[in-house]
Amino acid sequence: MHEKTVGLRAALLATTTVAMFGCGPSPITSVRIEAAIEATFANLVQLQVSMLGLPSPPASDFGVTASCRTLAGRNAGAGDWVCNLVWLGPDRQHLRDAYDLFVATDGCYTATVEGNSLGGPTLKTPDGRDVRNLLFTFEGCFDTSS
Amino acid sequence: MSVRGVLAVVGVECSKLSAQLKARIVLAACAAGPFAFAAAMRVQSSVPSDTLFGRAVNDSGFAVPLVVLGFAALWAFPVLTSVVGGDLFSSEDRYGTWSTVLTRSRSRAEVFAGKVLTALGFSSLAVTALAVSSVAAGVFVVGQQPLINLSGVLISPATALIHVTLAWACVLPPAFGFTALAVLLSVATRSSVAGVGLPVVAGLTMELYAMVDGPEAVRRVFITSAFGTWHGLLTEPRYYRPLIHGTTVSAAYFVVCLAIAYRVLQRRDIGA
Repeated sequence: MHEKTVGLRAALLATTTVAMFGCGPSPITSVRIEAAIEATFANLVQLQVSMLGLPSPPASDFGVTASCRTLAGRNAGAGDWVCNLVWLGPDRQHLRDAYDLFVATDGCYTATVEGNSLGGPTLKTPDGRDVRNLLFTFEGCFDTSS
Repeated sequence: MSVRGVLAVVGVECSKLSAQLKARIVLAACAAGPFAFAAAMRVQSSVPSDTLFGRAVNDSGFAVPLVVLGFAALWAFPVLTSVVGGDLFSSEDRYGTWSTVLTRSRSRAEVFAGKVLTALGFSSLAVTALAVSSVAAGVFVVGQQPLINLSGVLISPATALIHVTLAWACVLPPAFGFTALAVLLSVATRSSVAGVGLPVVAGLTMELYAMVDGPEAVRRVFITSAFGTWHGLLTEPRYYRPLIHGTTVSAAYFVVCLAIAYRVLQRRDIGA
């Protein structure tokens, strides 16, 4: 009987501990998402530019800044997000693009551009080949524990 | 308990296993499945866009093993790693052979260790077969193109191959954790249906939980979260914290499940 009570207490304590830690803020935050999408988008722009046979500056030259919010307007939590990206295009003009994101609990996201500002799902290279538009939909992951 | 004794049990279990149709079918599916998947991707226009690297399956052969890795985490790994582990002990109950096994010159500890080693060996064999076959399917069916990683950086085929190999190595600890869980259920329930079925149901439940935005601490103690820790290896800069955490959780499942299973088996009263 005594052993049972100890076991029950231990189980209760464990549940409470998990619940206390568990009810903390979500690790999916706007700061982490913004940092991840800024770097990934810049890398993909550079890659796409060079794939299209254009001279490509380093990824940092695109000066991407992102501001992200959940669809409900919060700044944390897995689910649907919207990110507004401001960046410098190849001829140094400021461009604005909005992306719809789905962010999973493990820190992996899929981003799809709103509208046609960056072209459709496929693009034509100068030599006439169809290639996937890397900026139309892309995915990435970030560390939810750092 | 002697090493020779354990190896003798492993030998017997392996010969029993190699005669089973079930084991052969599982390994054949691991070897052929990725080729069927890669071939299907080549002939049809849609891609598995809901899985990481799914959009890239026709762009780089190295995306194929990563898509298979993403798919397999949902239910294939729990099945592959518990199909043998969940049956090795309970089959002795089903055939009523415990009394025959334990009246031989091998101790219970040796029988337990030998059976667990066989189960772990089969799990690693199944995971390795699936890994090798999906890399081969990607390379031979799609090709050795460079791969765009999860940070949008193009990585060379040689680097991609290394990263894919490491990513598959990351799922071995949770695979062993699942095998230990299957062994425990097989010993405790004496039923192969529970031994194989319950780990699969548990895996699916944990994966479903990861899809809803519940408390993070709960998600992290679920062993299935360790199946996705390879993501950090395919980003730049890489991150290892989820991998370390997932491996620790897997080790805890492994030790706790096997310890309880051993205790249950030692205490069991097996009559003649």
